[in-house]
Amino acid sequence: MELEKFKYDNQIVKMFSIATVVWGLVGMLVGVIAAIQMYVPALSFDLPYTSFGRLRPLHTNAVIFAFVGNGIFMGVYYSLQRLVKARMFSDMLGKIHFWGWQLIIVLAAVSLLMGYTTGKEYAELEWPIDILITLVWVVFGWNMFGTIIKRRERHLYVAIWFYIATFVTVAMLHITNSMEIPVSLTKSYSWYAGVQDALVQWWYGHNAVAFFLTTPYLGLMYYFIPKAANRPVYSYRLSIIHFWSLIFLYIWAGPHHLLYTAVPDWAQSLGVVFSVMLIAPSWGGMINGLLTLRGAWDKVREDVVLKFMVVAVTAYGMATFEGPMLSLKNVSAIAHYTDWIVAHVHVGALGWNGFLTFGILYFLIPKMYRTKLYSQKLANTHFWIGTLGILLYAVPMYWAGFMQSSMWKDFTPEGQLKWQFLDTVTKMIPFYAARSIGGTLYLIGAIIMAFNLYKTAKAGSFLADEDAEAMALTKNYQGHSTDHWHRWIERKPIQLMIVSLVVVIIGGVIEIVPTFLIKSNIPTIASVKPYTPLELEGRDIYIREGCYVCHSQMIRPFRHETARYGEYSKAGEFVYDHPFQWGSKRTGPDLAREGGKYPDSWHYNHMLEPNSMSPGSIMPTYSWLLDDDLDLSTLKSKIKAMQTLGVPYPVGYADIAEADLNKQAEIIAANLKKDGIETSPKKEIIAMIAYLQRMGTDIKKTAVADTLKK
Amino acid sequence: MNHTVKSKLKWLSCMLAVPAITFAQDAQPTTSSYFSNALFDTLLVAILLLLILIVAMSNVLKNLTQSEYFQKKYKTTKEDESNKSTKVITLLALFSLLGVQLLAQTAEPVKSMVADDWRIGGLDGFTFYFLIALIVIEGIAIFILFNLIKGFIKSDTAAVKSVIDMTQGEVKVSKEKTIIDKLNASVDIDKEGEIMLDHDYDGIRELDNNLPPWWKYGFYLTIIIGIIYLINFYVLGTGDLQDVEYTKAMARAKLEIEEYMKTSANNVDESSVKMLEGLEIIAGKEVYIANCVACHGKLGEGGVGPNLTDAYWVHSGGIADIFKTIKYGWADKGMKSWKEDLSPMQIAQVSSYIKTLAGTNPPNGKAPQGDIYTEAGFKPVIDTTFVITDSLAVKNITKDSLTVKK
Repeated sequence: MELEKFKYDNQIVKMFSIATVVWGLVGMLVGVIAAIQMYVPALSFDLPYTSFGRLRPLHTNAVIFAFVGNGIFMGVYYSLQRLVKARMFSDMLGKIHFWGWQLIIVLAAVSLLMGYTTGKEYAELEWPIDILITLVWVVFGWNMFGTIIKRRERHLYVAIWFYIATFVTVAMLHITNSMEIPVSLTKSYSWYAGVQDALVQWWYGHNAVAFFLTTPYLGLMYYFIPKAANRPVYSYRLSIIHFWSLIFLYIWAGPHHLLYTAVPDWAQSLGVVFSVMLIAPSWGGMINGLLTLRGAWDKVREDVVLKFMVVAVTAYGMATFEGPMLSLKNVSAIAHYTDWIVAHVHVGALGWNGFLTFGILYFLIPKMYRTKLYSQKLANTHFWIGTLGILLYAVPMYWAGFMQSSMWKDFTPEGQLKWQFLDTVTKMIPFYAARSIGGTLYLIGAIIMAFNLYKTAKAGSFLADEDAEAMALTKNYQGHSTDHWHRWIERKPIQLMIVSLVVVIIGGVIEIVPTFLIKSNIPTIASVKPYTPLELEGRDIYIREGCYVCHSQMIRPFRHETARYGEYSKAGEFVYDHPFQWGSKRTGPDLAREGGKYPDSWHYNHMLEPNSMSPGSIMPTYSWLLDDDLDLSTLKSKIKAMQTLGVPYPVGYADIAEADLNKQAEIIAANLKKDGIETSPKKEIIAMIAYLQRMGTDIKKTAVADTLKK
Repeated sequence: MNHTVKSKLKWLSCMLAVPAITFAQDAQPTTSSYFSNALFDTLLVAILLLLILIVAMSNVLKNLTQSEYFQKKYKTTKEDESNKSTKVITLLALFSLLGVQLLAQTAEPVKSMVADDWRIGGLDGFTFYFLIALIVIEGIAIFILFNLIKGFIKSDTAAVKSVIDMTQGEVKVSKEKTIIDKLNASVDIDKEGEIMLDHDYDGIRELDNNLPPWWKYGFYLTIIIGIIYLINFYVLGTGDLQDVEYTKAMARAKLEIEEYMKTSANNVDESSVKMLEGLEIIAGKEVYIANCVACHGKLGEGGVGPNLTDAYWVHSGGIADIFKTIKYGWADKGMKSWKEDLSPMQIAQVSSYIKTLAGTNPPNGKAPQGDIYTEAGFKPVIDTTFVITDSLAVKNITKDSLTVKK
């Protein structure tokens, strides 16, 4: 055994840290703009690229995949090398990983603003980018496992278990959820439809939270908190139990995003009980983080790095307790579709991910630049402004969510809904304004940090290659009989990956596969027919403009919802919806039964100027739908793609679809003309109206047919 | 002695848990909406949370009493106190047992209760007070446990201090164990060396502290809750799934409304509606401004919807006809049903207001639609060129043609 000398690669960490800060600022800025648009709709500048429906996906993608994503890579590349006592496997792979990821982000930003989207929340990016993500993710995994294989530390530390689980699960989630059939370079249809698409999407969406925002950050917590506090980790056996139980249970909880929807009851119930069981595993992480600081609380009062980390872990604990509570059906009945959920996710995002990232940055940058932090005072200011920002964000949103939900449910003693939907929207405006102030404060804090870190870097000298030494590993290692049983798998990275994968596959398979195999899960409705070509094109515009960001298409079986929107939604109504568009937030009313509610001209006027039809509405205008011609160049491939997906258009229908489309467009144009609106049938608005007027009407035809029979 | 306290505590926890669970299940078939009642669930959650706390605290007490120090001291000094606590615990257990008995006796009356007997936050009085009583009992138990633990700790530290003072005068007094340390069953910081694992990752060492008992038992509890939840819905079938829940909620609402309408002046429908006058017309105007202007214009001149000031009516212009049009809507013509938004009285008011608009001839009036209507009910068809077509009806034709091509 000899002592080997080698160097840690700090260059790649530095690159990712810069990307983290830059994309963090961009993502937060877009968030603030979107927040202000909610009470100043004019801020969409009447441009498609800057309308809320496109900015909001940009905000979520930027914050999750650009800010937190780069944050993960920054922390992993720094801690992994040190935990396994080896330089990263390949500098070149690191660079490919870095530039590949930044390319993805830029492509994502451009394509989302252009309206290229799959219409699935947190997975909006179109198929070429999906493929790129897969490739870059493989490069990351390759580099990570390469490093682990040539390690000089026999056992893998708990942080690395989390990194491995993250790698393998995100790969599985991303690939499964991104199954789509391309129509053109910028357009695809989800492989799944309706209920199945919803289950797959929220299995993905929920576990994107679990395995992109939680497990990698728990790994970072396990490295940076003991490092910054110079204290031993509280409990090894707690690490083991909470790691395995967390990754096993998390996967099952997805359907709690779909309570009271048309998803089968049994799937919902599994979502509920697994969410409840998730409290302890989640809190295991918090306990292990906070109790590691036992005996170091005096340091927490002094050290800004620890301050950020303590608030982060506390926010994690709050969010992971609130999550299971929100998963109870009767709480979900109140909170779903409201700003309560928005508050909940921001406690997680701003508190846990944001603050932990800030803490790590304040720890890393001075270390890598071999100097002290430029200003402790500014860092403390950042801490307080950030904390205040989180409070100012969350409290109004909780209040708003609860209030709006109560208003939705209010009936007069005569049995009428007490409030028009619009009444409940205008009441939200002061809360939206307060929230945007909270968000702005948080952004200002981040800007202060960027300045502070820049100054620190300027003052120091960067150490690109850090000297290190360690003993090489001996071959033929024999475990001690006194070892903890878990030590075995800590020596076997590949086995650890495989076991993790098996553990995370179970829940998804049990919940999703039966909906494909067992017919009774999605009872078919004979009168539900495929969309006409014009409606299909209209639906694609609906997706392009991100309407699902503010409008749900899922009426839950509650008295107040059926009174407001009509008969509650049935699973069989969505069998041709590739992708499903149930949405998760009702900033505007539900649209599942919008068809036939208003005349065509109402929709025309409403898209041009929402306020003219709904005075006080905060919906932005979509005037370009009135100006732009409908692009029919991909209609044929769209119909063919739908046929491949099993939508029963007649054989050869792709060739005559355009003629049918024109016929229907003429009728709508003529209809508008009767109400004094002159427009060409070739405009996008015609398709949009066709789709809106179709929504939720199929099922009514059965009702009519039934009455006729009687 | 220790053992008795321990088993008593466990027994107590069970006694508290059993009534809550059996009660919840008993309640199911009678008025299944117990679980959909927010207050009920909140109280139930509170009861369960307190229960977790009790289990955790009794566990701490168990750990304390098992420490060597107390093993020695127990027999001599603590005899009295433990006797006291045993008594209290027995008493508490009896009390909760009584609760179960009471419940069993009153189970019948609960079953016969109907919707109108729901008083406190949607719960009948008995349920409400029973749950509150459970919480109070749990509160008392926690208070007693807390005092017991506090007593133990106080004497513990005092004794340690005196021992240290006696033997090594200058040695720093060891840090007092906090409640949190006790709750977590953490090993003392100065004894950390004993549980420090021998590995080291980049300078990070790991301790091997116990799983915090409250965490461990909390985990078990959530698993038990999960199992009970699934049994409730899928084995016993005592819980209502969403369709049944919806049907019941609608039936209850219907009853409530009927009950209210019996005594309300609001009881008007298309068969009894009459033209209103005076203040009612002004009220009708307010309804109109709030809801109708977007489509029918500020003055009734029409826009998206038809002109309401001319003599032509698509669906006839009598007061009862207008009432009906507003109440049920004409979905195929883009007129929505307002019966979920406006009360019958409000519909009568706005119908009457609309009748007063006849002949006002506002500027920018929309061209007539429908047939001429005269009050006598006589409807001559004057202009047959005005036929309203609607996109939906025609669209259906398109779809039909689509299927024909198959």
